[in-house]
Amino acid sequence: MNPLIPIMVILPITCALLLNLIHTKERSVKILAIIVGIALPAIPLLANYGMHYFGGYSPLIDNPQMAQGLPDMITQSALNLYHPAITYSFASAQKIFVFILGLIAFLAIFTSLSEIKKASGVYAFLMFMGTAAVTAILLSDDIFNLYIFFEIAALSQVGIIIASRTEKSYETALKYLFLAAIAAPMLLLGIAFLLGLTGNVNITDIIYAINSGLVDPQNPALLMACGLIFFGWLYGSGLPPFHSIKSAVYSKALPHGAALLQAFSVFTFVGLGIIILRIFSFLPFTQVAIIVVSLLAMVLGITMALMQTDFKRMIGYLAVGELGYIGIGLGLGTALGITAGLFQAVNEAIITAFIFIGFGTILYKTGITDTNKLGGLMVENPKVALLVMLSGFAMAGVPPLNAFQSKLQLVQASITAGLPELGIIMVLLSIVTFMTFMKAFYTIYLRPKPSELEIKNKEIPRATIISLVVLLLICLILGLFPQIVTGQLEQLAQGLI
Amino acid sequence: MIIDIQLASFFTAAALIVLGLFAALFLDNLIKKVIGLAFIGDGVNLFLVTLGFKPGGIVYIFLPGMSADTFAQSASYPLPYAMVLTSIVIGASTLAVMLGIIIMLYKKHGTISSKKILDD
Repeated sequence: MNPLIPIMVILPITCALLLNLIHTKERSVKILAIIVGIALPAIPLLANYGMHYFGGYSPLIDNPQMAQGLPDMITQSALNLYHPAITYSFASAQKIFVFILGLIAFLAIFTSLSEIKKASGVYAFLMFMGTAAVTAILLSDDIFNLYIFFEIAALSQVGIIIASRTEKSYETALKYLFLAAIAAPMLLLGIAFLLGLTGNVNITDIIYAINSGLVDPQNPALLMACGLIFFGWLYGSGLPPFHSIKSAVYSKALPHGAALLQAFSVFTFVGLGIIILRIFSFLPFTQVAIIVVSLLAMVLGITMALMQTDFKRMIGYLAVGELGYIGIGLGLGTALGITAGLFQAVNEAIITAFIFIGFGTILYKTGITDTNKLGGLMVENPKVALLVMLSGFAMAGVPPLNAFQSKLQLVQASITAGLPELGIIMVLLSIVTFMTFMKAFYTIYLRPKPSELEIKNKEIPRATIISLVVLLLICLILGLFPQIVTGQLEQLAQGLI
Repeated sequence: MIIDIQLASFFTAAALIVLGLFAALFLDNLIKKVIGLAFIGDGVNLFLVTLGFKPGGIVYIFLPGMSADTFAQSASYPLPYAMVLTSIVIGASTLAVMLGIIIMLYKKHGTISSKKILDD
């Protein structure tokens, strides 16, 4: 047992509850949020790999003391291998995902505390709660536990939108919650089918039951479970047909909130995507379905981004489009493809946070998100403009930044998998992403400043600039030394094929 | 006869889900939509409860004097019930948040028509 594994979930939840209790005490909120925020990325770095069993014990095969005296019908059957507890699994891939999620959460909270004039304990509470929920989705090997945190993540996201208090935030929050109230029960119904077939909700045990012939792999109920869980995955990640509401969610949140919300989507996408691949990869259409949905997300997300005049909505659509790249990698089903897809997930979470916080400086300075009303901001703060430009370059996959490496690997993977068409589409859509970003950058920073444009805040908070520099450094490091991450992710990819 | 009860229960669960989906997608009144969404959750919960049903089974509590064999053969599977309890709690929380938002929207718009509030 490794005590740091449950701490990754318990600490942000405890902090969230405390923040809710002391939400009126601004100074205490700031101190607590910063301390726990720093701990979030530190814990996965310190934790050893292993398993943690909540409310139960390890399988009998690893637990001879417990097995002693039990009848043969238990010790000589599959029950000997089953996990009679809620199991959390922490390996090299989880280490990277939880670290990146924790880092983005910290930077988002750090930025929000400096940009919001009166620190809101409730806002920080929601950010920590969402982070805890998505961390649990990444760690949990129990599909029902995953469903619980899937719901908590949805509620936290709704809360972040409402707490942002932007125009029409309540309307968007209600729409998102309505869809959650359909998608989450569908996910639960899928889990119920799996439970009915295998008698288990532990993912490893479900896979064992299917692979060892305890369950007929052609059972229609298994196909039904696959479809329902797939539907929940589409909702949680914001893939079509949920791409529009997801981008609306990002656009209604404050930029630091949106930076964290998109990280929730990316890691929910990865967490549930891996589970779908683990359980259902024997079905011939699973990978095809993932590729089709991912292609749709890429094409719809990026082309719709091109048409937006609200820069928050534009980034929202770009973020949805970038999810498609991850899906293509997972859908290819080869070790290189899955590694590249997971690497792209790490990169996308970082880059989109970078872009949201970067563009957030424009909202902070002017209070405007409509690009038609903006212009000439380069002279106001050229250093921040440079950082924002680099964030866009990173998303488009310009070398030597990180997405260049992951997108290159994805193109290579699609060619080696015999699907070069996918590689061509990915390259073309990267060019469109670059064009979309440059169009917005020109409108906001380079064209003459409109006479009616008023600058509300002259100085950008130092915390925001520090966050941008940290994110840029990570983009550079991962762009120059991708093996830091890919080496770790490869182990998971090998396990999946 | 007991199997019929299980079958009837499955059909009821399916009917609740379909009815809930219809209400959530096609009704205009936000409160009616929420009731529909609650139906979907209830249908799934009923499906789970029905999964754990064992004809002639007993509650999963090892009472004094009960033999291990009797317990092993007769006790129903407790996992679905534990899951349903959790699911009910989560469903109630989601419902509360939805109704809270609807109250706020009613104060703002003076109506609970989804067409008037949610259509951009």
